[in-house]
Amino acid sequence: SFHFLMTSPFNCTLEKEEGLVEEEDEIDQFNDDTFGDGAIDDDWQEEHKRLAELEERKNDGLGGLGLGGLGMGGMGGGDSSTVQLPPPASRERGGGDLAESLAMLILGADPAIASVGGPAGPGDRSTGLPPPPSMPQQHHHPSQLPSHHHLTPSGLPPGPLHPSLLSYQQHQHLLRRGGAPMQQMNSHNIWENNMGFGPVSVTPGLITQMEDSPLMSIIKEVGLPNRPPPVMSEDGRDFSERAPPPRSSSPVIGSPPVRAVPIGTPPKQPMSHIHHPTAVHVRAPVHHQHRYPPSFPERISPNTLLNMANSPLCRPPFPAGVGPVLSQIQRAQMLNSQVAGFPRGCQGPPLLPGGGGFRPFFGQPPPHRMGPHHNHVPCPIIRHNTTHLHPQHRRMLTQRMQSRGGYRGGRVGDWRSRDPYSNLMTQREKEWVAKIQMMQLQSTDPYLDDYYYQNYFEKMEKRQERDRDGVRKEHTTKLITPQVAKLEHTYRPVQFAGSLGKLTVSSVNNPRKMIDTVVTSRTDDEEKREKQVWNKRRQILYTVEKMYSLLLEVQDFEKRFMQTPEEQREALLEQHKTHTLQLYASLKEKEWDDRVSDEQCLLIMSVRKGKRLISRLIPFLPPLQAATVVMGIARNLHALAKKDKQDQALCWLVEPVAVVISSLSSAALTDLLQELQGSEGQLSKVLQNKFGVTLLYLILSEGERMQSSDLNCQLMDDNRWTELVFSVTRELLNVPPSSLSPPLFTPPNLLSLFSRYVDRQRLELLQEKLQISALSR
Amino acid sequence: RTAAPLSCSSKHSTKEKHLVLLRDGRTLIGFLRSIDQFANLVFHQTVERIHVGKKFGDIPRGIFIVRGENVVLLGEIDMDKPCDTVLQQVSIEEILEEQRLQQQAKQETEKAKVTALKDRGLSIPKADNLDEY
Repeated sequence: SFHFLMTSPFNCTLEKEEGLVEEEDEIDQFNDDTFGDGAIDDDWQEEHKRLAELEERKNDGLGGLGLGGLGMGGMGGGDSSTVQLPPPASRERGGGDLAESLAMLILGADPAIASVGGPAGPGDRSTGLPPPPSMPQQHHHPSQLPSHHHLTPSGLPPGPLHPSLLSYQQHQHLLRRGGAPMQQMNSHNIWENNMGFGPVSVTPGLITQMEDSPLMSIIKEVGLPNRPPPVMSEDGRDFSERAPPPRSSSPVIGSPPVRAVPIGTPPKQPMSHIHHPTAVHVRAPVHHQHRYPPSFPERISPNTLLNMANSPLCRPPFPAGVGPVLSQIQRAQMLNSQVAGFPRGCQGPPLLPGGGGFRPFFGQPPPHRMGPHHNHVPCPIIRHNTTHLHPQHRRMLTQRMQSRGGYRGGRVGDWRSRDPYSNLMTQREKEWVAKIQMMQLQSTDPYLDDYYYQNYFEKMEKRQERDRDGVRKEHTTKLITPQVAKLEHTYRPVQFAGSLGKLTVSSVNNPRKMIDTVVTSRTDDEEKREKQVWNKRRQILYTVEKMYSLLLEVQDFEKRFMQTPEEQREALLEQHKTHTLQLYASLKEKEWDDRVSDEQCLLIMSVRKGKRLISRLIPFLPPLQAATVVMGIARNLHALAKKDKQDQALCWLVEPVAVVISSLSSAALTDLLQELQGSEGQLSKVLQNKFGVTLLYLILSEGERMQSSDLNCQLMDDNRWTELVFSVTRELLNVPPSSLSPPLFTPPNLLSLFSRYVDRQRLELLQEKLQISALSR
Repeated sequence: RTAAPLSCSSKHSTKEKHLVLLRDGRTLIGFLRSIDQFANLVFHQTVERIHVGKKFGDIPRGIFIVRGENVVLLGEIDMDKPCDTVLQQVSIEEILEEQRLQQQAKQETEKAKVTALKDRGLSIPKADNLDEY
């Protein structure tokens, strides 16, 4: 049946078309009106043919490119099923290409750009043929173009314009975009045409999805203007007449409802309590025979209307310049002419509260709350979003309206054609304003806010019940005043998993909430304590640092000494001595030279750094001073041991201390042991520490060495050593094994030491406990 | 309680005349072409109707754009209802003359009142001065 396609020199390959078959899955199943019952129509095909021929005639000079375009059109393909393919293809792509298309929009007042950037749309089906003008932009094309392809207007008035006649390309547009989800919600009227295409139905789900992005909502509202057709410079053909260059901004200037939701609402506006009166899923009970003129959507972009106004079919081709802006007047005129010319015989009275454009069908069925219908005219005007009128009230309103409407019925058509200024506000705009006004009336407590209203209707109800004895229930509808849910619109900033921070849509309604500021109030005492602790620590570290600097100087002395010339060596030596003294001075007791300040020692050793410092320091001290330092360590070891439990940093001291010990005199050694033992219970604490044990062993081993090696050892001169060793052994025996820390190493001669002082039994016990054996070395 | 003018019959807004009363007391009648959330109005083929006593006169004014804050009330005129026959339409000149006379008379009475009060040592501030305080 599409023979002309085959004969066209610019036929698209079937393969390409078949390639689109796969995308059938992506067809919007909800789009019954495009793909469902009303979609395919034999008449439509004939219309298509007719138009095609017309185009062919017109575009003879173009070499049939127009036809080629036709060929490309969604009509292409042998069977009607493939017709459906472009829309879904485009649609699916349209969703994805949204950003792209918008970018193009903004860029693309220049047709050249558009042609360059034209994505591979369904229009690329033609091999070797530059895509027909409207093709690449098909899927971006808004739904604005009324898709009336009916050439012989039956019953159309001879208006000043022929808006009903569109270029076939534009018609193609519409078909292709039949299912675009981006399509405006209210644009279903576009599809009211003889083709039988119904409006695009968008599921509520989709809508909410769409409403998610403000961008989408704008597009939905406004639609996307036409993309300019590519200018085929090589052909010298200018297709700009097909569609005007797109506007980079909203085509409708100055109208309030540019957004689907008011500015500043959170992205997901819970509009649950507001019913959208506009039809979401619309079925067109279209009677094909009627050949309705296309009803205009409530909002048509001036571009669209301009297209209609300047349709090439009603003008010579290639009009010079087509301004993108259609004046309100022109739009109104067009609307009026459309409306006025509407043939009677459609359902309902011609004057319908259907808005600026005629709708032969109505939106969603009136709410159940409404009273019985009069005249079989549903009243879509009563919006459930606006107010919760008492049903009686509503009924009265509708009655009033209808009576007025009925009276006017005969004259309206006439009047409308005379008043060119009517319909300057689209229905949508009116609804929007009314909605705003009504929203202020919403109340969470109607009895509080509107006491008299509630009471009045209550009384009326009672009266009715009394009068009718409650038989006819339907009339005694109770007013269940739905209270506007006190929704909590707390804005929680969106946060993507794994991202830093939160994505904020800052608006009037939600103040920015990007940072979670949590007040942690600490009590003063706590704070003081914390501060103190920190201060102390800082102090200690500071001291340690200073000592370190000295130490480093001392350490580097030798190197420097080598480097300095002879004369200065003396001075350097002096310096060195001073440094060393200073080091010691910082450790020692204020008054006593031979004693290390316990306080200082503790302080410094309480920090790991300090321990390390001491361990490095000791080798540089003169022996006597080193001995006193070791004494000091031993003395304070019990206290230090506790702190050292975790990281055992004391163990660093082992080496230098060992060195020191080995150079101690017997008396000093005894003293050391004594210091280590200290007061009662001290040793046990020491034993818990690795270093402590090691130190003890060192001492003992040294003592043993002294005894065994040096016959003149003075160790046994007094009983101190013996006693001390006794007490040590006692302690060692008594201490529970768990709290005895294993030493770093066990000197081999411990056994012999112990064997001197303890009996066999105890020796064995000791042996076991300490795991020393005669063989251990 | 309803935005009836806008919601219901604005469908018929083609030939529905609206009447708006402004804060300064003027009455405008015309075709309401546009309205927004602030009640800014666009009136087409507006006519200012001046009432003096039982007489009224219509002064055609063309297109009016009224700022919303000045609107006191707005209503639809039911063209089908029989007009009040009590009121008598007169020419513009006449009604303006009438109005002028009315204003004059009012001013005179006001002046007399003020003088009388002044004589008695009282002064009532005029409404238009109140804002200054």
